[in-house]
Amino acid sequence: MNVGLTWRLLKGGGRRGMLGTWLTLGAVAVSTALLLFAVAVDFAFAARADRGAWRNPVAAGSRPAVAIEASRHDYVRGREITVVDLAALPGRSPEPPPGLPRFPAPGEVWLSPALAGLADRLPAAELAARYPKRAGVLGDEGLVHPDELIVVAGRAPDAPELTAARSSDWIVGSQPVKVASLAGEPTEDAEGYQVLGLIASVLMVVPLLVFGGAAARLTVARRDQRLAALRLVGATPGQVVAMTVAEAVIVAFAGALAGAVAYALAVPLLTRVRIDGGPWFVADLWPHPLVMAGTVVAVPLLTGLSAVAGLRRVVVSPLGVAKRETPPGMRWVRLLALVAVLVAVPVVSRGDSVGLIAVVIGLAFLSINLVGPWVVGLIGRITAASARRPARLLAGRRLVDDPRSAWRTVSGVALTGFVAGFLGLLSPGTLAGTQDTGHLRVSAPAGQAATVAQEARDRLKRAGVGAAVTTRKDVVVIALKDATPITDEDARRRALDGAPAQAAPAALDRARTALTGLVPGRTPTTQADDEYFGGQILGDIAVGTVVVLSVSFLVAIASAGITAASSVLDRRQTYALLRLAGTPLEVLDRARRAETLIPLAVMGGGAILVGAFCGVPFMITDPNLTGLVTLIVCVAAGFAGVVGAGALSRPLLRSVTADPAPRPD
Amino acid sequence: MNDVLAGRALTKRFGQTVALAGVDMAVRPGEAVAIMGPSGSGKSTLLHCLAGIMRPDSGEVRLEGTRIDDMGERRRSALRRTRFGFVFQFGQLLPELPADENVALPLMLGGVTRAEAVRRGREWFAPLGLGGMEARRPGELSGGQAQRVAIARALVTKPAVVFADEPTGALDQTTGHDTMRLLVEATKHNGASLIVVTHDPGVAGWCDRTVEVRDGVLLAAGARA
Ligand SMILES: Nc1ncnc2c1ncn2[C@@H]1O[C@H](COP(=O)(O)OP(=O)(O)OP(=O)(O)O)[C@@H](O)[C@H]1O
Ligand SMILES: [Mg+2]
Repeated sequence: MNVGLTWRLLKGGGRRGMLGTWLTLGAVAVSTALLLFAVAVDFAFAARADRGAWRNPVAAGSRPAVAIEASRHDYVRGREITVVDLAALPGRSPEPPPGLPRFPAPGEVWLSPALAGLADRLPAAELAARYPKRAGVLGDEGLVHPDELIVVAGRAPDAPELTAARSSDWIVGSQPVKVASLAGEPTEDAEGYQVLGLIASVLMVVPLLVFGGAAARLTVARRDQRLAALRLVGATPGQVVAMTVAEAVIVAFAGALAGAVAYALAVPLLTRVRIDGGPWFVADLWPHPLVMAGTVVAVPLLTGLSAVAGLRRVVVSPLGVAKRETPPGMRWVRLLALVAVLVAVPVVSRGDSVGLIAVVIGLAFLSINLVGPWVVGLIGRITAASARRPARLLAGRRLVDDPRSAWRTVSGVALTGFVAGFLGLLSPGTLAGTQDTGHLRVSAPAGQAATVAQEARDRLKRAGVGAAVTTRKDVVVIALKDATPITDEDARRRALDGAPAQAAPAALDRARTALTGLVPGRTPTTQADDEYFGGQILGDIAVGTVVVLSVSFLVAIASAGITAASSVLDRRQTYALLRLAGTPLEVLDRARRAETLIPLAVMGGGAILVGAFCGVPFMITDPNLTGLVTLIVCVAAGFAGVVGAGALSRPLLRSVTADPAPRPD
Repeated sequence: MNDVLAGRALTKRFGQTVALAGVDMAVRPGEAVAIMGPSGSGKSTLLHCLAGIMRPDSGEVRLEGTRIDDMGERRRSALRRTRFGFVFQFGQLLPELPADENVALPLMLGGVTRAEAVRRGREWFAPLGLGGMEARRPGELSGGQAQRVAIARALVTKPAVVFADEPTGALDQTTGHDTMRLLVEATKHNGASLIVVTHDPGVAGWCDRTVEVRDGVLLAAGARA
């Protein structure tokens, strides 16, 4: 119906109108790409969890058992190897686990490609000798990530590996379990990562939605004058809404397509981000076609909705926009909302449900977004009242006049500040560990410590590894010779096996290889090995923080750049006339800068504090220097980015004010 | 040589269009001159050249004997701010600033303190019939009131010349005439010259003389009063 007219309106905006359209398109493209990423993260962690489920046996229970499965960890060169022991029960022929062409026969071992590669590169005595009968390579379907080190060892069902008791700590491995199938269930480890992934998604999606909304309003902002004029000449509200929404949706659809393409191009890069010990398969980060299609359809629809919301003003009161009356004051009820959330956080977060964390973060985000414009308006009044120079006065009055638009510019950084504050407290650098690799420890079956120790001595001697083997109750301790002592006082205090030391990696791996199978079902480990999981998860939280902050900053910077440009476009006539009357461009520019910087500083800082406040209940370790430095660097980068993005519209300001005879269009 | 502002042999082309084809025009101190002519004849272009907004392709413009057309943009901009005042058809007031601050702005740009600038700005409100409108924002003023605020803003720096391009073009005739009379009187009262582009012969009647532009040339210089 109105498509023809809409299309003409779209094109009829002239060169500058088209520029606005391009900005909207760019904004939608950026949000779509980042949205796809935020969504893909969850699917990616879920895919990993599914692929890794088979190593986590589920007891057969009442169903007929077909196999026995157990798992534990081994180590090489400071990396973790998952060792899965499998045996078919007599008379049963179970389905092989994913990635294996057949069920492993007793004595056979199957290595993951990365482990096989490593075994071929390192001297045999350091790794390959641990796997005497290699039957083949595991397929990708059975791997959590492409670099995963994993070995599947076929056993007889009565092999000691599958009968002896093991540690039942899920971090160390799993006891032998009779299973009805190798489907398994996601490990606690994988589930933990899924929760972290979900939190990251929420942290990224909320600023994205705010930004997307701002992008949609941008189309409307440039049009509202003209649409108000259309209303004045008698277009029905329905016609005005239909035209604007059609325009917003057309542009957003193009933007969403561009964003999907951009995301697709970025996937190969994103797969390199190492989490949980390795990079990603491309397919993991590739959203399901339905998700992709859903996003490309949903984004334009949301944009259309947002456009309707932005248009309410025009439709309700055509004169309001045309005449620019004093906007109604923002209600302080908004502030109450934030206070309510702040009070609720410590109370609510006493429960330890994980979904709760996401809800708390989401609520805090939304309330910051509610309070934002109100506070910006307040800042504006203070700035205007205290201004002595014209630039400040202009900036302050502008903030009072349109706090929502100013908030849109800084909301990205404010919300990011919230994330930074939240994570800054939560992200400890490294776990205080001993890093002791000079001692290997393995517990022997009850009463057999002496025998096991002697066996260990013989094996190490044959392998030519210098070590002193002692026993402590049922634990056999192997102290490697030629290890460099660790002088760190803290490490000394925590060390379990005497003075902590750092062994040469090659010597350590030779010792490990010589001791393979010393105690069936158990791995001799160093204290550093035992600290591996804790260190990894903290490292991953740090990586995740950087990823989330980078996304938030991209959003913040894109939104700052786009809002700055559109505000220049919106006000081009006034700016041009001011410049004609001799107002130096620098004053206008300084006013524009102050207009962003003042609320940025106040809101950004405020949001960091609120974020830190919300983060306190979730703190697991003391905040540390690294986290704090990350926070400060991120905030500085964010500010610089926003200021830089704002400065980009300076040539635009110059060009729109260069026209000596500006006319309203 | 007692012209305050004088343009000589001004030409200006936009691509193929000749907007000014050699125009001489001079204004004496305190004189009000109306520029008339059909649409597209070059009135705005002439005003822009005289005001140092635009550089003519050839010819020269002198303010009190000093050439201004060959100055750099920065100096011309400073000159416009300090020595000239401008009233445009509409849209020149900053919508978020209250009326008094809109008037005070040029003074503040010139380094006058805010309190002093606002005080001096407010002095213009009562004489222009704007008493009580100081705190209103442009969107809350009628078209005629907004133009009077613009007049105050143009005059507040005590300029040598005030330029007005169809200042009443957006107003109805009665309001337009009232506003125009105020503009001429206030300019005169301040000892400033006025150059006003208008389509309305009635408006031109308030001025000391009228010049007519047609196809980029000055047709007849009306008698100097
Ligand atoms: N920036 C420009 N680019 C190209 N042509 C221009 C430009 N400005 C003016 N012109 C042309 O120069 C001529 C004179 O324009 P000018 O604006 O001076 O006319 P005017 O007399 O003020 O008309 P009006 O009464 O309609 O305002 C016109 O033909 C116009 O099209
Ligand atoms: Mg004109």
